[in-house]
Amino acid sequence: MPHEEVLAEEGRRVVMLGNVAIARGALEAGIGDAAGYPGNPSSEIIEAVSVASGKLGSPIVEWSVNEKVALESAYGASLSGVPSMATMKHVGVNVAADPLFSLAYTGTPSSIVVVSADDPGMWSSQNEQDNRWYGVHAYIPVVEPSGVQDAKEATIEAFRISSEYGHPVILRTTTRVSHTRGVVEAGRIDAEKLRPRGRFTRNLERYTLIPAHARRLREDLLERWDRIEERLSRSSLNKIEGGGDLLLLGVGLGYRYAAEAARLLGVEARIAKLQTPIPLPSSFLHKALDGVSKVLVFEEGDPVVETLLKSFIHDEGLDVEVHGRSDGYLPRAGELGLDKAMRAIGALAGVDPGLPSPVEPGLDLPPRPPALCPGCPYRGVFPGLRKAVRRSRVEPVYSGDIGCYSLGVLPPFRVQDTIVEMGGSIGLANGIAKTANGQIPVAIIGDSTFFHSGITGLVNAVHNRNPMLVIILDNRTTAMTGHQPHPGIDVGAMGEEAVGVDIEALVKAIGVEHVRVVDAFSIRGVEKAVTEALDYVRRERRPAVLIAKGSCILVALSQARRLGIKPPVYRVNPDKCRACTVCYTAFNCPAIFRVEDGKAKINPVLCTGCGVCVDICPFDAFEPVEEPGKDWILLMRTATPAGW
Amino acid sequence: MGYNIVLAGVGGQGIITSARILADAVLASGGNVLVAETHGLSQRGGSVVVHVRVGDVEAPLIPPGMGDLLIGLEAIEAARYVNLLKPGSPITLNAEVQPPPLPKITVPSLDKIIKALREAGYTVYSIPATTEASKLGDARSMNTLLLGYASGLGLLDQAAPPEALADSVARVIRRSSIAVKAFWHGFKLATAQSMTTLKRQR
Repeated sequence: MPHEEVLAEEGRRVVMLGNVAIARGALEAGIGDAAGYPGNPSSEIIEAVSVASGKLGSPIVEWSVNEKVALESAYGASLSGVPSMATMKHVGVNVAADPLFSLAYTGTPSSIVVVSADDPGMWSSQNEQDNRWYGVHAYIPVVEPSGVQDAKEATIEAFRISSEYGHPVILRTTTRVSHTRGVVEAGRIDAEKLRPRGRFTRNLERYTLIPAHARRLREDLLERWDRIEERLSRSSLNKIEGGGDLLLLGVGLGYRYAAEAARLLGVEARIAKLQTPIPLPSSFLHKALDGVSKVLVFEEGDPVVETLLKSFIHDEGLDVEVHGRSDGYLPRAGELGLDKAMRAIGALAGVDPGLPSPVEPGLDLPPRPPALCPGCPYRGVFPGLRKAVRRSRVEPVYSGDIGCYSLGVLPPFRVQDTIVEMGGSIGLANGIAKTANGQIPVAIIGDSTFFHSGITGLVNAVHNRNPMLVIILDNRTTAMTGHQPHPGIDVGAMGEEAVGVDIEALVKAIGVEHVRVVDAFSIRGVEKAVTEALDYVRRERRPAVLIAKGSCILVALSQARRLGIKPPVYRVNPDKCRACTVCYTAFNCPAIFRVEDGKAKINPVLCTGCGVCVDICPFDAFEPVEEPGKDWILLMRTATPAGW
Repeated sequence: MGYNIVLAGVGGQGIITSARILADAVLASGGNVLVAETHGLSQRGGSVVVHVRVGDVEAPLIPPGMGDLLIGLEAIEAARYVNLLKPGSPITLNAEVQPPPLPKITVPSLDKIIKALREAGYTVYSIPATTEASKLGDARSMNTLLLGYASGLGLLDQAAPPEALADSVARVIRRSSIAVKAFWHGFKLATAQSMTTLKRQR
C-alpha cells in the first residue's frame, strides 16, 4: 500500500516523502482529527494519515468538500478539544481564508495546524502565491521546514506552539519539501493519544465573534502575537552556524540551498536556518545579525522575510545591507536552485561561482505536455461537444475549470477558453451569459470541482436566469490529484462506507429544468445530448446541465486488476484503414500511432480497451482483438476508488 | 557534491518507482539520499524528470551541468534533460522513441538522437529495454531492467551495490518476480556488452 512507511517502527530510519513525514509528525504529535481537500502538492498528507488510521483505528480523517469546509471541520474538532489538522494546496487557503482569519481571533482550547502546500515554479497550479503573507495578514505564526526530516520535526513543533498558546499555526511547505523523498528517523506514536475524545465547552465571549466580543479579542490577539514572537526565538527549529560578516539567511528550504552552495564555493559565512519566519523572531535575528554587515536571504516564493527584515533593521537602527529576491541577487519568480544560490553568493562574496556550462545536443525536440490518458472518458466528450457546437451554429465560450479536463486547452481539443480557479467555469459563465452578445457560455467542470465550488454558481445561474450549458464531467473520483474520493461516491477517505450525493438529483433540486445524463464513452450520444441542450438554452434562455458519466480509466483498470477482469485490446484492420488521420489527430489517442503510409496502428501496451476509437473511425477500421466482456463495459462506467 | 542521477522519461513509465528503488537501496547500503519528484499534471503522459542525489547533499535539485548519470527511459526525454549532466557524462538509454501525442510535430529518430548525444560528447549506452522486458513477460519491467543495465555497467556503484538494488526492487514492487528477473537480465546484458566492447578495443 502506498505511504505505509508512515507507520515505520520507532527509531527506524526510512525513506519517505516530505508529505508523509508531515503526516508522521502529526501522528507523533497526537492529532485526533484531520481534514483536507486534495490538491498538489498537498494530497499525500491526508492519504498517509488515512493509511495510519486504517491500521490504528484513529485519528478521524476526512476528505472534505472543499478547503473552507476542511478548515472549518478541523476548527470544530479543535474547539471540541481535539488536536486537529487541515491540509490544502496554497490556492485552497484562499477558499478557506474566511474561517482562517476568525480562527486567529477565537483560538481554540486545543491545537490546530493548517498546512499550506505552496507551489513555487507552478508545477501544477495556476499561480505562485506565497502563503506566508497569510500569516502576516491573519496574525497566525508560520512554520516552514527546510527538508524531509525537518518536515516531521516542524510539524511536531507547530502543534506544540499551537497548544501552548491555544492559537492556530500555519505549516508552510513547498513542492520540493512535500514531493522530495528523504531519510527520516521515526519517533514515537502513542496510539492512545490519537483517539478523539472531545467535548465542546461553551465560551460565548470567545467563540461568538459579535463586534463587542471581537473588539476585545483583537486586543488579546495582538498581545498573544507578541508572546508568540518571543517564543519563536527559542524554537529548536532555528539555529546559527559559522561566523563572518556575511550572513546567509536560509528560510525553510532556502537554508538547504544556502548551506550547500556556500560549501561548494568554499565561502566562509555565517549561516542562519530560520524555520519560523512569521512573526520574525527578533532576539534570534539580533544574534544572527551580530557583527554582520550584509545579509543574503534565501526563500522560496516572495521576498517575505527579506521585506520584514528590512523593516526590522530600520526599527532597530542597525547598519546592515539586505539582499535577496527583491534586488535581483536571486530571481523574483520561480524556484530556487543550487546554481542560482551559488551565483548569488559568488556575486556578494566576490567569488567566481565556477558554474559548469552544460552541453546541449542541438536537437529540435517536440514538446511533450501532459495529455489525457488513453481511455480517458473526456477524450470522447470533447469531439462530441465540438461537433454539436458546429452543427448547432452557436458561438461558444468554453468556460473551463481545474482538473484533468484542463488539458482540453491543448490541441486538438481547444475547448477551454478560460481556466482561472476552482468553480470558475460556472462562476464566469454567469457574467459571460449576461454580457457577451450572441455567444453562449459552455461551462465544463469535473465532479469533484462541482462539489467544491460549482454548486453555488449554478444556483446563481438558475436564480438569475443566466443562459449557459453546464457539462459536469463525472468520472467518479478526484482524478488529477491521485484518485481521492469525493462527496459523489459512497466511499470515504479511510475506505469506509460513505453517502454518495447524487449529482443529477442535486441539480434538479436546484431548479435546472433541462438535465440529461449521458455516457461519456459515446461520442454520438454526447453530440446528440449537447445539440438538444444548446437548443434548449437558446430557446428558453436558462441554464441546462449535462452530466457525462464515465469512470476515470485508471481507477477502472486498477479495479479490473483487483477483480480479475481483463480489459480488451483494440487493433487496426489495415485493409479498412484509409489513412484519414482522424484517430491520431482529432481524437489524438496516445495509444494510436501513425505508421509510414499514414495509416494508424495501436500500441497494445498503451491501449486501455475503452473502445471509443471504434466510434471515431469513419471506416470501421478499429476492432477488438477479443470481444470485450460485459463486466469490463460496466466497470468502465461505474468504477470508483477504494478510498485512502 | 555527492553522486547525482537524473531519471527522465514519459509519465507512466515507472520513473518514480525507479527512483524509489534507488533511494531504498542507498539507505539500505548506509548512504544518504534525496529524491525530487514530479507529481500531478506532469504524470499524465507528460515529460517527467526525477532528481536523485546520493551522499552528503542538502538541496533536492540537481543544477544544470552537475549530474553524473542520466537514466533515460525514453530517448526524446533523455535528450531534453541532458543539460543537467556534467559534460561528457554517461547516459543509459532505453532505445525507444515515444512520439508525443500531438498533431503536426516532427519527431527525431532514435538514431538521430543517439548520434546527436554522442556528438555532444556524452557516452551513450543503449539497450532495447522494453523489448527485453516484454520477452520476460512484462513490458512494464522495462524500468528495473534499465536499472540493472546501469548497475551492470558499474554506473550505480556510487549509489548502491547490485545486490542491494535487486533487494530493493523486491521490496518496492509488489508481485516483483519479473521485475527482479528484469533487473538481473539488464545487468547481464550490460556485462555482455562491455565484454564485446573490450574485445573490439583489443
